[in-house]
Amino acid sequence: MNAPLIRNERFVQIAAPISVGLLFLLIWEIAVRATGVAPYVLPGPLTIFSALQENWLDLLNALLTTLKVTFLAFAIAVLLGVACSLLFIQSKWIEMSLFPYAILMQVTPIVAIAPLIIIWIDDTTWSLTVCAVIMAIFPVISNTTLGLRSVDPNLLNMFRMYRAGRWQQLVRLRIPGALPYFFGGLRISSGLALIGAVVAEFVAGTGGAKAGLAYMILQSSYSLQIPKMFAALMLITVTGVLLFTLMVWLSNLALRNWHESAMKTEN
Amino acid sequence: MSALKLVPESVENPPVTNGPKTRSARPVIQARHVDKIYANGTVALQDATLDVRQGEFISLLGPSGCGKSTLLRIMAGLGDVSAGCVKWWEQDYDVVGSKGRKLAFVFQNATLMPWARVRANVRLPLDLQKAAGEHAERRIDTALEMVGLSQFGGAYPRELSGGMQMRASIARALVTEPDLMLMDEPFGALDEMTRNKLNDDILRLWQANGWTIVFVTHSVYEAVYLSSRVVVMGARPGRIVEEIDIDEPFPRGPDFRVSQRFADYCRQVSESLEKASSMGQEAAS
Ligand SMILES: Nc1ncnc2c1ncn2[C@@H]1O[C@H](COP(=O)(O)OP(=O)(O)OP(=O)(O)O)[C@@H](O)[C@H]1O
Ligand SMILES: [Mg+2]
Repeated sequence: MNAPLIRNERFVQIAAPISVGLLFLLIWEIAVRATGVAPYVLPGPLTIFSALQENWLDLLNALLTTLKVTFLAFAIAVLLGVACSLLFIQSKWIEMSLFPYAILMQVTPIVAIAPLIIIWIDDTTWSLTVCAVIMAIFPVISNTTLGLRSVDPNLLNMFRMYRAGRWQQLVRLRIPGALPYFFGGLRISSGLALIGAVVAEFVAGTGGAKAGLAYMILQSSYSLQIPKMFAALMLITVTGVLLFTLMVWLSNLALRNWHESAMKTEN
Repeated sequence: MSALKLVPESVENPPVTNGPKTRSARPVIQARHVDKIYANGTVALQDATLDVRQGEFISLLGPSGCGKSTLLRIMAGLGDVSAGCVKWWEQDYDVVGSKGRKLAFVFQNATLMPWARVRANVRLPLDLQKAAGEHAERRIDTALEMVGLSQFGGAYPRELSGGMQMRASIARALVTEPDLMLMDEPFGALDEMTRNKLNDDILRLWQANGWTIVFVTHSVYEAVYLSSRVVVMGARPGRIVEEIDIDEPFPRGPDFRVSQRFADYCRQVSESLEKASSMGQEAAS
């Protein structure tokens, strides 16, 4: 009876992870009740859910603040990252001189430089955004550069033979060919933008009207409102998953006609 | 320029009738003592000297790895030579692309842009040369029709079979009406029937448009049927072993395929090929 649904790949793709999640929550709830752990140590899913309901206005505001920083940072990271990649492919020299600094930015722990940035930039939103950009930009740069360089050499030969200019080469050959790599970068980078936004806020510890989800977590842990803390944490995770899904969807939309990653292989 | 001429009646340049007569025609490519050594040390070509003259149909024939593709790429001006020199229309490579000198290259694999539909792929050379005028659409239609892909202009390359992709790639080369057409085993992936049809098509076009073609193939029969001259190459190191004129008037038809002369030419070319490969083995051992 269930056979047709089970064979439907889309259905399975959504249903399978949800079932695992529900099962996990169920076991969690049962375990919490069975062992009688205090809710300020480990609340059960139902307690967390009611905390979410009670504080939903606070949490929603915090979520919006975090989302604002995340999206702002993500957009800047994408624009700036692509611009860097386009610069890098202009010459090996530029890439060789600048790429190490892109790596430097990637390997420096954001928590270590966040305090500096927060001191330098007064505006909270912008200081958090800068931190998140630093976190998110590297995958865009490295993937897009790789993509722009990975051109079929024969196609490139053909473009040269027809005396195509650099601009034509870029627009007609390099950019379309780099799209799959670029979208791969976006998947990683979107999650990093969120992490960057949250981590920077932890360091900044900004409260008040501009409080984001990180501040919610800090504040609830001080006041031992552990269920609320978990609710905020859950919102962060769900946001991350949704962001990733959005990127996958975008990538499939852009590549569905020609790239293996976005197509079903039929044999 | 008008659309491709499909019928031999409208010939402007008189067709080549046989090999030796073209010896007096203008040189299109002159390769002199060309060596090609790849960065990894492979000697792909050694002392290759070859003249390609206006209106010739030359086939490069030889065992796998003997440097046919390498020689063709050099003639297309792709990649430097390690020694020797190459001239195009008795000038440097700059002449290609300017002054109406047009080169077209059919690569050994189809080399289509996977993100563009077949029609856009065929259109590419016109776009790149900013030649996409009013005749463009008609030219594209003609080219697609010729390779039998009229129905597939809207398809993506990955929706086509290997042979169809190859034909799309041939259409892309035809669409510019090139002065010199370099083809690297264009029909290798095709069935006998399609291959024979395209052989005749390409011969007809070559005659009608006064093109010059250099054609790489593995097939002795194809080489003899198509060419005014067969260039036999040997491997290790890659080099030109012998040039055999195919002294048979064009247009050639099915009659030629079954004639005694055809068989004789095939035997002569095969013997030359065998000699070339046995020489290679001696050199290797
Ligand atoms: N980019 C390259 N780098 C190094 N060696 C190469 C390269 N391209 C070709 N070669 C070598 O040069 C030799 C000639 O190669 P080429 O592709 O010209 O052969 P071919 O005659 O076209 O063979 P086939 O009939 O199999 O296509 C081979 O031995 C090959 O290994
Ligand atoms: Mg080859």
